[in-house]
Amino acid sequence: MRVWLPALLILLLLPLFLPRYPVEVLTQGFILALFASAFNLVFFQLGLLSFGHAAFFGTGAYTTALLVTKAGWPYLLTLPAAVLVAALFALVIGFFSVRTSRIYFTMLTLAFAQLLWAIVHKWYAFTGGDNGIPGIPVGSFATSAAGLYYLALALLAAGLYFLYRLDRSPLGYALRAVRDNEARAEAIGLSPFALRLLGFVISGALAGVAGFLQVAWQRSAFPDFLYWTKSAEAIIAAILGGSEHLLGPALGALAFVELGAFVQARTEYWPLVLGLVLLFLVLFFPRGLAGLLGRRDARG
Amino acid sequence: MELDLGFFVQQFLTGLATASTLFLLAVGLSLIFGALGIVNFAHGSFYMLGAYLLYWVARGDPEGLWWGMAVVVAIGLVLGALVERIFLRPVYPRPEHHQILLTYALLLVIEDGVKILFGSAYKSLGPPSALAMPVWILGAPFPAYYLVQILLAAAVAVLLWLFLKRTRVGLWIRAVTQDREMLEALGVPVPRLLTGVFALGIALAVLGGAATLPMQTVSPGVAVEAVISAFIVVVVGGLGSIWGSLLGAFLIGEIQAFGVMIWPEFSIAFVYLLMAVVLLVRPWGLLGRPPVVRT
Repeated sequence: MRVWLPALLILLLLPLFLPRYPVEVLTQGFILALFASAFNLVFFQLGLLSFGHAAFFGTGAYTTALLVTKAGWPYLLTLPAAVLVAALFALVIGFFSVRTSRIYFTMLTLAFAQLLWAIVHKWYAFTGGDNGIPGIPVGSFATSAAGLYYLALALLAAGLYFLYRLDRSPLGYALRAVRDNEARAEAIGLSPFALRLLGFVISGALAGVAGFLQVAWQRSAFPDFLYWTKSAEAIIAAILGGSEHLLGPALGALAFVELGAFVQARTEYWPLVLGLVLLFLVLFFPRGLAGLLGRRDARG
Repeated sequence: MELDLGFFVQQFLTGLATASTLFLLAVGLSLIFGALGIVNFAHGSFYMLGAYLLYWVARGDPEGLWWGMAVVVAIGLVLGALVERIFLRPVYPRPEHHQILLTYALLLVIEDGVKILFGSAYKSLGPPSALAMPVWILGAPFPAYYLVQILLAAAVAVLLWLFLKRTRVGLWIRAVTQDREMLEALGVPVPRLLTGVFALGIALAVLGGAATLPMQTVSPGVAVEAVISAFIVVVVGGLGSIWGSLLGAFLIGEIQAFGVMIWPEFSIAFVYLLMAVVLLVRPWGLLGRPPVVRT
């Protein structure tokens, strides 16, 4: 805790000193951090690699975008709805997916997310098709760079605190028990299917919060929010940062976004640089950025 | 509703041409997954690269197609072998997500590499003059080049099947999907075999991409779409099965060809739906083998 309080204080004071652009970049970092941390709940605690988390990010974002533009809801009030809809999609997709394991789980989550993407991409009457929903009025608070910064920081901090408590709770131990030895977990009375589904739904709901924030950041919603490359961003951030550490995915996301902004200001070949960085990290630093800080103590 | 037979046959053959491309794209992915256990996210990138390489080798001359394809396949073999030796071999003992991240990194590098070498503009190469005129089948025009694509895919399927069933190396490749350690104990040079399988898989993807160039334009964005199509085919047909890839490619090609007639906007959604249903009902695919439970 000694490290985190000053870090939080610095993050709270930053918008007072920084110009608009770096504040916006940091905000994007917080959003991806929340998305990657949500993904990591399924990846680390359940031991399942989801390639479909863009589905929950995207449905959360589109719920907010549609409620604001079609029903005239104030932006901030759409948060519960975005969480609920993302959780519902996670419930349906998870219901089918968590029965399978390994590569089949990865492919099934990918298939469902791509199915939703295909529908959003083509349903011009409802979702705007491949034009997306541009020019969403998100209110003066979320329009100001500092306002959105604090909103994203608050939701990220709340999300991370929630994940921290979950990690230490009996539920966290139960999830890891199912991950490590399904047969034994079942023998002591745990229900692997129910636990996996619960973890998956919580993860989807958190990803929906990130989607809700993304709408304000871009003041638009696009089908790309549901495309498989969006899911890949969460995976990269989580593994880059170190999925074993609670803060690893968030650190990875911040590094990913900051590096992206730095490189994009200098060259258009950001994917090339990212690809080379990933090659280098996978081949030489397999335990991620958090791996440099120290090992997570072996628990439960 | 009166169904025009000529139109029906035309749609069917168009679907078959799509299926031929999908088969060449996906069969290598399936082989690589079967033998190496690696999900190659860069597979669509090599497919895209094949089209660019053909464009480069043929120098914009459609008559250069035939020898161009031969050269491009040779480049694909060398490139595949190099990538396997340099990047994949170190990550075989690692967890799956490291392998996925590595091949995803290759996807990013190839995508921008192509932009640097060839620019972002669409590239195309017409069919050779002998195939420029359509053939008439039951009173409907049909691009002659589609027939070449269909024959090419059929020839590759038969040759690949003969190779795997009738040759010693083919036997080893089938064996390595079952039990790598046992094969090593029998004195088979497994590392070299894996390099060969990866090179073969990449060469097939490169061939598939090159073969589309006379009919379609190519751009760097082709890769991310292609790799997802390849996943669908392989998942529907069964990971590691050649006939599965053929069946998967056939189903996806025809669903797209006829789905466009029934519900044009959502024909691609049908395809993802098929993928999800197959994964739920038969996770190992229509022609795949259920995983062996080891005790």
